[in-house]
Amino acid sequence: MSAQPLLEVRDLSKRFASRESRDASLWVIKDLSFSVRDGEFLTIIGPSGSGKTTLLNMIAQIDAASGGEVRFKSESAPINDPKSLNPGLSCRIGYVTQEDNLLPWRTTLQNVLFPLTVQGRLNDETRARAAELIRHVGLAGFENHYPHELSGGMRKRASLIRTLVYDPPVILMDEPFGALDAQTRAVLQEDLLRLWEMGRKTIVFVTHDIGEAIALGDRTLVLSRAPAKVAGEHQITIPRPRDIRGIMSHPDFGPLYQRIRAQVQ
Amino acid sequence: MASLEHSPASPPAASDSGRLLDRLRSRSDQVIVLVLLFAIWQALSLWLGEYWVGSPWLVVTRFYAGLVDGSVLYHAYYTFAEAVIGFVLGAIPAVLLPFALRRLPIVTAVLDPFMVGGYGAPKLALAPLFILWFGIGIESKIALVAITVFFIVYFSALAGVRALDTRLVQMAQVAGANERDVARHIIFPGAVPYVFTGLRIAMPYSIGGAVVAEIISANRGLGYLVQLSAMNFDTTGVFVALIAVTLIVFICNGAVDFAERRLLRWRPASDAKLQASV
Ligand SMILES: Nc1ncnc2c1ncn2[C@@H]1O[C@H](COP(=O)(O)OP(=O)(O)OP(=O)(O)O)[C@@H](O)[C@H]1O
Ligand SMILES: [Mg+2]
Repeated sequence: MSAQPLLEVRDLSKRFASRESRDASLWVIKDLSFSVRDGEFLTIIGPSGSGKTTLLNMIAQIDAASGGEVRFKSESAPINDPKSLNPGLSCRIGYVTQEDNLLPWRTTLQNVLFPLTVQGRLNDETRARAAELIRHVGLAGFENHYPHELSGGMRKRASLIRTLVYDPPVILMDEPFGALDAQTRAVLQEDLLRLWEMGRKTIVFVTHDIGEAIALGDRTLVLSRAPAKVAGEHQITIPRPRDIRGIMSHPDFGPLYQRIRAQVQ
Repeated sequence: MASLEHSPASPPAASDSGRLLDRLRSRSDQVIVLVLLFAIWQALSLWLGEYWVGSPWLVVTRFYAGLVDGSVLYHAYYTFAEAVIGFVLGAIPAVLLPFALRRLPIVTAVLDPFMVGGYGAPKLALAPLFILWFGIGIESKIALVAITVFFIVYFSALAGVRALDTRLVQMAQVAGANERDVARHIIFPGAVPYVFTGLRIAMPYSIGGAVVAEIISANRGLGYLVQLSAMNFDTTGVFVALIAVTLIVFICNGAVDFAERRLLRWRPASDAKLQASV
């Protein structure tokens, strides 16, 4: 555990310019602060509309902040000016967005290879990695399908491995498993944990599901309704490696679940 | 993982044969319509006299004779060449300009009223001017076709560039795409369906423009053939030329269809159908 956090959110605030220009009620996020250690799996939970996506957009630098800052490796990024944003901060912050955002004119394989293509990293080794990830998430046989020929869950899986394939040190995930059935979801959660334990990436994982937040995370942040603030912080003490399917029978699970649910309004 | 393997792959084969039946059905209906048209035409020529409406049989034999001796092909070739060259010369800058102006919204805004004016102005009225400038040869027709096609395609390409989904751009930037990658992998492919809508609308105009310019002044081409035949009170000759024009429209339409099917394989079928029926 190093003293310097990898990612640090300080007094981050955001409001959207409104059409009627009422200002006071418009803060979506106000003075939000937290930090993420290198290699940590942080889960964030909060009610719908609390600003979780907005928060990730600012960390990924695709949206400007109205105040505060985000530090990555102690470098302060000027994210208050839309013009100086550096989306993905030079490929070091991957982002699995809430919508799949697959390119409709690219097949599954071409979509998965897209980051490697634009980064000029397409070679036999990375192609083999992409093929393995595709097989892993059950998309084998669908490599040459276009997004409209895939189911919602398949698109979701494709967008997930599109980020995993180029191996960014930090990955932001916005409800990546929201649209999946329980079985597929459990498989992918296990895969994600295995990948994370192997590579020790830093993951910021947004979810609606308290059980998922506990099962995956080292620590869970609970966000309040807008304007989003940290309503609670919980260390998940359940030891790793964890058994995702049997996690509910762990003695620590029940009390954690109760405490978090009391804070999620 | 077993549960994942049952997702829908390709549509079942049954619907393929269904589609073939549909195709055959619509083909046979088309033949019936064609026969009906010929019957009406024949009736008209009997009623009004072959002097005013050349009989279909005469037209077909003349058309065939014209093909054999090469005279129809000779004129069709010029019209075809004018239409195709003009189409390409008009469409290329029309597609490139909105891309070039993408980063210059002020220039686009300044140009806008002029483009709207150019789009709305009756281009055929320019034909006499172009003939004065470029002579009665192929150049004046190409210029007319090009300018007609340009304005139609410009506005559809512009709509395509403007319909850009910024979330896709952000996703690409996070993944490491630079300005050029975004243009090449996102803006351009996203605008292609719009460009094709424009090309599809512009195509008959390009052939029509070439023919009308030839009617006004030319010494070859199908429009010239129309004009010449009409002056000689040869209605059969007029119809022969018109049939040749129609065939060219069919061929060019087929070419646009083919290119569109190749380039837009990624679109859902219903989308493509909607697009084609517009
Ligand atoms: N571009 C925008 N313009 C104006 N308001 C916005 C914009 N994007 C988000 N908001 C507002 O910000 C608030 C938070 O939105 P956000 O998408 O971050 O919520 P969320 O926590 O991700 O919700 P969910 O769990 O449903 O995805 C909402 O009230 C929404 O109306
Ligand atoms: Mg959201």
